[in-house]
Amino acid sequence: MSLTEYIGAVGMNILTPDSSHCKMVRLPQPVITNTELDTLCNIRYKGFYTEKLPMLFDPSKGEQGLSDALEELCREAERSVDKGINYIILTDRGLDKDHAAIPSLLAVSAIHHYLVSIKKRVQTALIVESGEIREVMHTALLLGYGASAVNPYMAFAVIKEQVDKGTLQMDEVTARHNYIKAVDKGLLKILSKMGISTIRSYRGAKIFESVGLSGELLAKYFGTVSSSVEGITLKTIARDAIRLHSQAFAQPQTDLLPMVGQYAFRKDGILHAWTPEAIATLQIATREGSYAKFKDFTSIVDSRKEPLFLRDFFTFKQNPIPIEEVEPEEEIVKRFVGGAMSFGALSDEAHETIALALNKLGSRSNTGEGGEDNARFHGTKDGVSLNSKVKQVASGRFGVTTEYLVNASEIQIKVAQGAKPGEGGQLPGYKVNEIIARTRHSIPGISLISPPPHHDIYSIEDLAQLIFDLKNVNPQAKISVKLVAESGVGTIAAGVAKAKADLIIISGAEGGTGASPISSIRYAGVSPEIGLAETQQTLIMNNLRGAVELQTDGQLKTGKDIISMALLGAGEFAFGTAQLIVLGCVLMRKCHSNNCPMGIATQDPELRARFRGKADYLVNFYTFLAREVREYLAQMGFRRFQDIIGRSDLISIDTSKMDEKTSGLDFSKLLHRVDSPAAISKCRDQKHNIFTVLDRELIEATRYAVENKQPVSLSYEIVNTNRTTGAMLSGHITSKYGSEGLPDGTVNVTFKGSAGQSFGAFLAKGVEFRLEGEANDYIGKSLSGGIISVFPPARSPFEASENTIAGNTILYGATSGKIFICGKAGERFAVRNSGAIAVVEGTSDHCCEYMTGGRVVVLGETGRNFAAGMSGGLAYVWDKNRNFDYYCNMDMIELSLIEEKARKEELKALVEEHYRRTGSKLAARMLADWNHYLEEFIQVTPIEYKKVLQEEAIRKIQQKIDNVQRDY
Amino acid sequence: MGDPKAFLTVPRQEAGHRPVYERVCDFSEVEQVLNEGERRLQASRCMDCGVPFCHWACPLGNKAPEWQDAIYHGDWELAFKLLSGTNDFPEFTGRICPALCEKSCVLNHCIDAPVTIREDECSVMEKAFAEGYIKPKQYERNGKKVAVIGAGPAGLSAATRLNCLGYEVSVYDKMQKAGGLVRYGIPNFKLDKYIINRRVDFMTQEGINFICGTKIDLEKLPEGYDAYVVATGTPQARDLDIPGRDLKGIHFALEMLSQQNRILEGEKFSQKETVSAKGKKVLVIGGGDTGSDCIGTCHRQESLDVTQIEIMPQPPKDFNPATPWPYWPQVLRTSTSHEEGCTRRWSLTSNKFLDDGKGNVRGVEVERVEWVPSPDGGRPQMVKTGEKEVIECDMVLLAMGFLKPQHPEAGGNVFLCGDAKTGASLVVRAIASGRQTAAEVDSYLKDK
Repeated sequence: MSLTEYIGAVGMNILTPDSSHCKMVRLPQPVITNTELDTLCNIRYKGFYTEKLPMLFDPSKGEQGLSDALEELCREAERSVDKGINYIILTDRGLDKDHAAIPSLLAVSAIHHYLVSIKKRVQTALIVESGEIREVMHTALLLGYGASAVNPYMAFAVIKEQVDKGTLQMDEVTARHNYIKAVDKGLLKILSKMGISTIRSYRGAKIFESVGLSGELLAKYFGTVSSSVEGITLKTIARDAIRLHSQAFAQPQTDLLPMVGQYAFRKDGILHAWTPEAIATLQIATREGSYAKFKDFTSIVDSRKEPLFLRDFFTFKQNPIPIEEVEPEEEIVKRFVGGAMSFGALSDEAHETIALALNKLGSRSNTGEGGEDNARFHGTKDGVSLNSKVKQVASGRFGVTTEYLVNASEIQIKVAQGAKPGEGGQLPGYKVNEIIARTRHSIPGISLISPPPHHDIYSIEDLAQLIFDLKNVNPQAKISVKLVAESGVGTIAAGVAKAKADLIIISGAEGGTGASPISSIRYAGVSPEIGLAETQQTLIMNNLRGAVELQTDGQLKTGKDIISMALLGAGEFAFGTAQLIVLGCVLMRKCHSNNCPMGIATQDPELRARFRGKADYLVNFYTFLAREVREYLAQMGFRRFQDIIGRSDLISIDTSKMDEKTSGLDFSKLLHRVDSPAAISKCRDQKHNIFTVLDRELIEATRYAVENKQPVSLSYEIVNTNRTTGAMLSGHITSKYGSEGLPDGTVNVTFKGSAGQSFGAFLAKGVEFRLEGEANDYIGKSLSGGIISVFPPARSPFEASENTIAGNTILYGATSGKIFICGKAGERFAVRNSGAIAVVEGTSDHCCEYMTGGRVVVLGETGRNFAAGMSGGLAYVWDKNRNFDYYCNMDMIELSLIEEKARKEELKALVEEHYRRTGSKLAARMLADWNHYLEEFIQVTPIEYKKVLQEEAIRKIQQKIDNVQRDY
Repeated sequence: MGDPKAFLTVPRQEAGHRPVYERVCDFSEVEQVLNEGERRLQASRCMDCGVPFCHWACPLGNKAPEWQDAIYHGDWELAFKLLSGTNDFPEFTGRICPALCEKSCVLNHCIDAPVTIREDECSVMEKAFAEGYIKPKQYERNGKKVAVIGAGPAGLSAATRLNCLGYEVSVYDKMQKAGGLVRYGIPNFKLDKYIINRRVDFMTQEGINFICGTKIDLEKLPEGYDAYVVATGTPQARDLDIPGRDLKGIHFALEMLSQQNRILEGEKFSQKETVSAKGKKVLVIGGGDTGSDCIGTCHRQESLDVTQIEIMPQPPKDFNPATPWPYWPQVLRTSTSHEEGCTRRWSLTSNKFLDDGKGNVRGVEVERVEWVPSPDGGRPQMVKTGEKEVIECDMVLLAMGFLKPQHPEAGGNVFLCGDAKTGASLVVRAIASGRQTAAEVDSYLKDK
């Protein structure tokens, strides 16, 4: 990724190359210092012209003043371009009592779009010099709306003051440098979330979603045609700007700026959804089992003084019936499920308590993305299962084994998380203790970072394949897909429904995770109301809603929240923060620091001992919630919850809650009901095509062998429509024998032909697949102990080691087992491998990416970016062209020759096994002259892993020493 | 926040009190102080909660997490600025506040050892005076005048705020010196009076005009002001109207407390006027803070023996499930005066005072009561049991709270403030009310 940009006028005629194309300024990053800005303003060189335009307006003229000033600014910019100015610097330095600053984003966007409209945009670069710019998001917004560079002079001034006062104990240059570096990193993070690699592609890309700006404003100044819920106009912006301006010049001046409580509650600060009263009342209500107190809680939340969420404006049409006629609480409560919070993020105690409570209620808790200790799959406490019924499969595939999947009643593919879309989960190293490392198949102390994308999902077809894979391994489980509320989510959801998901989750931005990056907490994601409404409408238009259930989350707390979301289309509801609060969370917001004093979000044994949540509290919470929902249903005149799903016509908007800022909101798009006879709630099941898969034959043919652990050998023809071969068989074996599987070599199957995708996925221990032919993508996905070998047909004329025999993303998320490929493989070989052993005769790019364990032997060339993000395991690469270091990503690893005896032996044994299983000619050649070839191997060791290995070695030595001393 | 795990490694350390044998011999402050290093260590225990319940519980909204962090970093001046942004008299509350914040501290919830917020607060202010961070300022005058009637904490805080906003403020008080109940009600061993003098001097230097020893008739407010703040407190103590009330030796608590404070200020009283517990067996009726102050004062006046009775039942000792965190816990509180020795009894109502035949009180007939929960869920109801006994004593102090004054609904340019408005409450609430009233006065006068 890169932040480097070239700014200036882009040549007029790109077809005739000449020197004018080169008159650009190269910036290593978009944030420039005061000195750099000054330099830019004073380039006394032919062809570089700069001009400063003040972004100011007359506050005494109000809205008109702002609108006139913007218009004038646009014309000024046009005049500048006509004059040949190629750097326009927009500045608010001239601010004083009579001149207020135009909000810089508004000014930049207005000029950018104006210049675009008159086709003069590329002849100049916009640079913003503004005191407003402080946070990463401010810079990102300005760049996204057309600025080329920004100068946050106020931030620099603050830094200088801090340095002068001595609160920052470093010199000013370093401090400034650090600030810029921090902004750079933040920008890279934001770019990466949107899948953009260079700042040049980001500039002017406008990939933002505005909520609460009117269509008129967006159309005029932001080049956007539609607004989801409408909202404020220029008038409100002007009023706010003037208010802040007059505050700045008001007397008497105070020493300290007010702390408005952006990230922590302050009485005089901004409103937060979880107030101390709400937290305390909810905890007391659920602890004491008092429904009256719970009603206090919901009334605190529902009658907060200012609306915070879109749903706060909703009221429901009434048509009361006796409450006895409404379906019982026990039915309603099944619609409430646990939010996805991993064991790792949460302590063992908290995670188990949640599972216990939801199992008691007959609902489902969620493992989160960190896997689950397999003792819990069948473990019980007071006769209630400790198993989380929803098993999440996230991009990191941590702990995703066949055993994990067969113990699920719902498998959830987490595409993204509402509170931090575009980011993977992150578990800091200090939270990774022995047991977490074991369930995640990683190493204690090593940070676990989930990659942003699933490496086996690059298209909706890929997702369909993954759903098919999971459905095969556990045909009883529902497959759900977790998406994030955003505009356009409807289209995605329609694709997901067509990919045969049983359940779609629309995750809202309000949902929190204390461990989210601060920039994501405030600036990423969209309200669930918007995402849900769009999804519901799109699914109905395509007659897909009947086949899928919709679930939503995002700070749901009360019966009113549930009803609101149900009317917008949701049939199930997930709770995260609320659950934790019931279990004692007091919103410390220290989840990332492992210091949760309530023993919830920590792995520190001393703190975990302080956990005092009980499953009964959660049972109370969900029961009370169901009771309140039932009361609402009675008031609204419905006997079954099912009947209100999608009935957005029952919502009326309470305009009395609107103030000047919110009065512009328009809910008509949100509440729109599609005019279609299609179902508006789930009424039928998806048809998964898993009834005719090859595995059905395999299961039949191996039935006796599996029952009695007797070896069996089979042979089949295979074609590329035979997808996910082996998964259902493995699921079958694993549900019988657990992760132990069968004794090695029990089920031996030889396939001939061209295998379809996901060949040998989830293959269980004791199953050996031999494929004579070739394979597609995803071989050995989440391999769980099985052995796969792939080799060309016996009499094929070509040189195996020179030809590609297997597709991309092999061994993704494998935890154990072996794979031998006589030939080359595609990209991302062994990505996120955390324990499997592989031998291959060449790979394409990104081999061993994010690997955390296992062994990979490459007997041949690799592509670029080898070992990116690799934090565990070892790789041995035959560097036949002596250029491996060029292809390797050296960030986290070290290269060496193979020196240790144990390593040499290990490598030789693997090559021998490769020869034995595949008959590889290359392996034969190597073994014939082993000592010679051995010297050409390079060992790839992740630095973190090296440390772990050495610590282990020292521990062994220490033990020896201890023993020796005992002998004296 | 320093070390996020400091609360596990640094135990709560209170500065503690002077030893009993020493402190009962004088009227100097009982509480000791920590040195700077230890104080900073204590401040480091604050975890900077995302939802700071301490800040929520404080009637003033003191932003404890912010200034605890400043103390930890040794930036006392910043701590002072942050603290004085919400609290006008941290040196008062730092000594005598019951610290609602500490009861709501998350550390109180999870390890029963809250951050020493009150003491930290006090140390910030003492540092500010010692190092001169607090300097009198002269504010640009806006030409409007406000009279504050009553120089208790509410009146003083309203005066301070209004003065900062540019009003010319005159503070009237019927007593000889400003301070109200803080000066004339709270014993010196809890709050030394130089602290009030220091603050009043400071306010005078900032331009506030004190007119003490002048009783103002609320019906006839002094002329020449644009607005009036009435902060006259709750002068009327609750009386015990039972037979024998007019016997000698029965006093209101404040008679004794305020007289003792005045004696320590150098005022002289005749033998006849003096209310002293010297050599007497004292009975304190009322189990609140005032009662406890009476006990401490009796000890220092060398009483023979002190008994305190309370009509309500004895509250639970450490944890009361009826008042869970983060709310104020109704539990048994033992003050420094209790530590100095006294008999405490609960669930006793007083039936009559007994005469020794010479018009002096010789004892009180008390009766044990029971409290039964009210059927409608309201206040529990008292039921007399008939078990009567006599508590011998030759002095009775009535510390049963204060009556809410009946002021006519203030209106126009007259603003009620503090206890006068709400009935007797804590100093911290009085200050909060003063600040709020000042804001109301300002918004009333701003556009006039």
